Amino acid sequence: MTPSDHDLEREFERLLGNPLTRRRILQRGAAGALSASALAYLAACGTDEPEGGGDQAEEEKAIPKGEIADALYFANWPAYIDEEREALKKFQDKYGTKVKYVEEINDNDQFFGKVRQQYDQGTSGGRDIHVVTDWMAERMMRLGYVQKFDKSTMPNATANLIERLKSPPFDPNREFTMPWQSGLTGIIYRKDKVKRTPKSVEDLFDPAYKGKVTMLTEMRDTVGLVTAWQGADPEKATLDDYMKAIDKVQEEVDSGQIRGFTGNEYLKDLPKGDSWVIFGWSGDAVQLKADNPNIDFVLPESGGMLWTDNMQIPVGAPHAFTAEKFIDFIYQPEVQAPIEAYINYICPVNGTEEVIAKADKSLADNPLIFPSPTFLDNTHIFRGLKPDEERQVDDAFQKVIGA
Amino acid sequence: MPVRLRKAALPYFLLLPGLGWLLLFFAVPLVYMALESLKTGTIYTGFQLTWEFSNYTNALKDYGEQFIRSFEYAGLATLISLLIGYPLAYVIAFRGGRWRNALLLLVIVPFFVTYLIRTLSWETILSDSGIVVSTLKSIGIVSEDGRLLDTTVSVVAGITYNFLPFMILPLYASLERIDSRLLEAGYDLYGRRRDVFLRVTLPLSMPGVVAGVLLTFIPAAGDFINAQLLGTPNQFMIGNVIQSRYLVVTDYPTAAALSFLLMAFSLIIVIVWARIAGTEALLGTEEERA
Repeated sequence: MTPSDHDLEREFERLLGNPLTRRRILQRGAAGALSASALAYLAACGTDEPEGGGDQAEEEKAIPKGEIADALYFANWPAYIDEEREALKKFQDKYGTKVKYVEEINDNDQFFGKVRQQYDQGTSGGRDIHVVTDWMAERMMRLGYVQKFDKSTMPNATANLIERLKSPPFDPNREFTMPWQSGLTGIIYRKDKVKRTPKSVEDLFDPAYKGKVTMLTEMRDTVGLVTAWQGADPEKATLDDYMKAIDKVQEEVDSGQIRGFTGNEYLKDLPKGDSWVIFGWSGDAVQLKADNPNIDFVLPESGGMLWTDNMQIPVGAPHAFTAEKFIDFIYQPEVQAPIEAYINYICPVNGTEEVIAKADKSLADNPLIFPSPTFLDNTHIFRGLKPDEERQVDDAFQKVIGA
Repeated sequence: MPVRLRKAALPYFLLLPGLGWLLLFFAVPLVYMALESLKTGTIYTGFQLTWEFSNYTNALKDYGEQFIRSFEYAGLATLISLLIGYPLAYVIAFRGGRWRNALLLLVIVPFFVTYLIRTLSWETILSDSGIVVSTLKSIGIVSEDGRLLDTTVSVVAGITYNFLPFMILPLYASLERIDSRLLEAGYDLYGRRRDVFLRVTLPLSMPGVVAGVLLTFIPAAGDFINAQLLGTPNQFMIGNVIQSRYLVVTDYPTAAALSFLLMAFSLIIVIVWARIAGTEALLGTEEERA
């Protein structure tokens, strides 16, 4: 940043009469206090603080209390709610709010590419809630794209969130994120193709499975699992630990052991037999198992990865208070149960298990949906990466996966 | 306004929509991308225009391999398309008779299915335990522990398949236009079939060959779907890199620089190709245009 930029900012600061943060500028901009051209200038020249940051976000005020609006825009991933969308109906019955539920997120990176310009200018494109994975949620926080909850208006969310998810590294008090669903990353394998039940990440490197192994394009899943296997805790690992894991993966790509990297394309590769032992997600495993008894899921001895897709309220959301209320609303076990029964990922809401057990005992007993606390002890949450670390690890990993 | 002036202005008015379109969707993004490619920064600090020309040299250094691979695959696919497409277009044009339109329709029919689905179906066709691979294994073309899917073969085959109609259609158009009296004249002058083909048919169909090669090669070089679905990281092309740089790493400057490099290389290849094949073949002779 050049000195003249600093001067300009100081000038702004003086004009506004209070300490300047990027978020505040954007909020004012959204309210029309700054001209569009000044905003564009700021967006173009970047921000004042090099590291972005949680500390800056912490001084932000929480969403003010207000009236519950009659409309709400909820951006989520496809097939991530029961087909009846009962939770939305119940919310409408109670508050009269019509929820516009849009399945517009297919991929964290693509979603980010799509909303970046809008969020950067302090408008949310009409969205009140979006759902993104941990690391993207952290990026949104760091960029000041999301609003802080007023937890005092969210009693259910405070009381019913399961213990393991209460303080992730990137948002220790859950002030900017609330889990929609969580899942585990582990090993999915074909029982009829493997010599023995895989126990460790090492099994993926068995020469007998050469060319039948795939890993995930999600850096934190693949690197996390390999890092844990190499003996470092992905929750605290150093940059070198991650790089060491990436080197190992590179080695296995070069030797032809690893066939490729996938999103959930393995849903078709595994049944076809194009892959046998892979890194994959627990919710998919539940569904694959139901269709094909030869497929099973296991957490490696060194631990699986625990990830969460989080609800966030973007800056500029037209119905922020309603969004907050809605998030709290689905933290009631009765509201959560139909969602959980349909999507089979890990339920973040305490008490849902009991509600579901009344209807479907086997579902409630499934450890991949309602894991016991000890089961979850054997999982890691990838630690928050600083921007420059993130860039280095992303860069190295992208090179390994071919781009 | 006098009538004559209005008349003189008319062509320009007619050009307006096209020019506007070019300006809005080509020129402006191009300038934007050019500026983007010379910036430095991250999404957290913002991107500043620092005229960072090293973005280009670094991009080339880091991804030279994928560039070369892209042009190799695109070249290979273009060549195969030409070898498959020419005889096909020839037969439809000269021997198609009343089936001509039906045959042409068959060439286009795959286009009614989206690109993605067509490529995905190749995944199934070439699957390790699929019928193609097991047949090829039994006659010894593919080794016992070999595979087709996720290899160079499958990626090049996918590109060839997806762009083949772009080769066939211009070939057909130029072959179909050939005046049959010229061929008769060739035979009357005691030309053998081979001579007539090489001296009459082929030269007259060159505009189709040139157009077909360009229409196949250029999009094939920038393709990333085939490499992504039918290949592994070892087959990834420059399109895959640009996609990952832009969307995943959010390294917009490098992505923009790579796009420009791809464009520049493609342009160079087109110019060289036009020199070899002759601009007449590309643009038609003066006579034809008149």
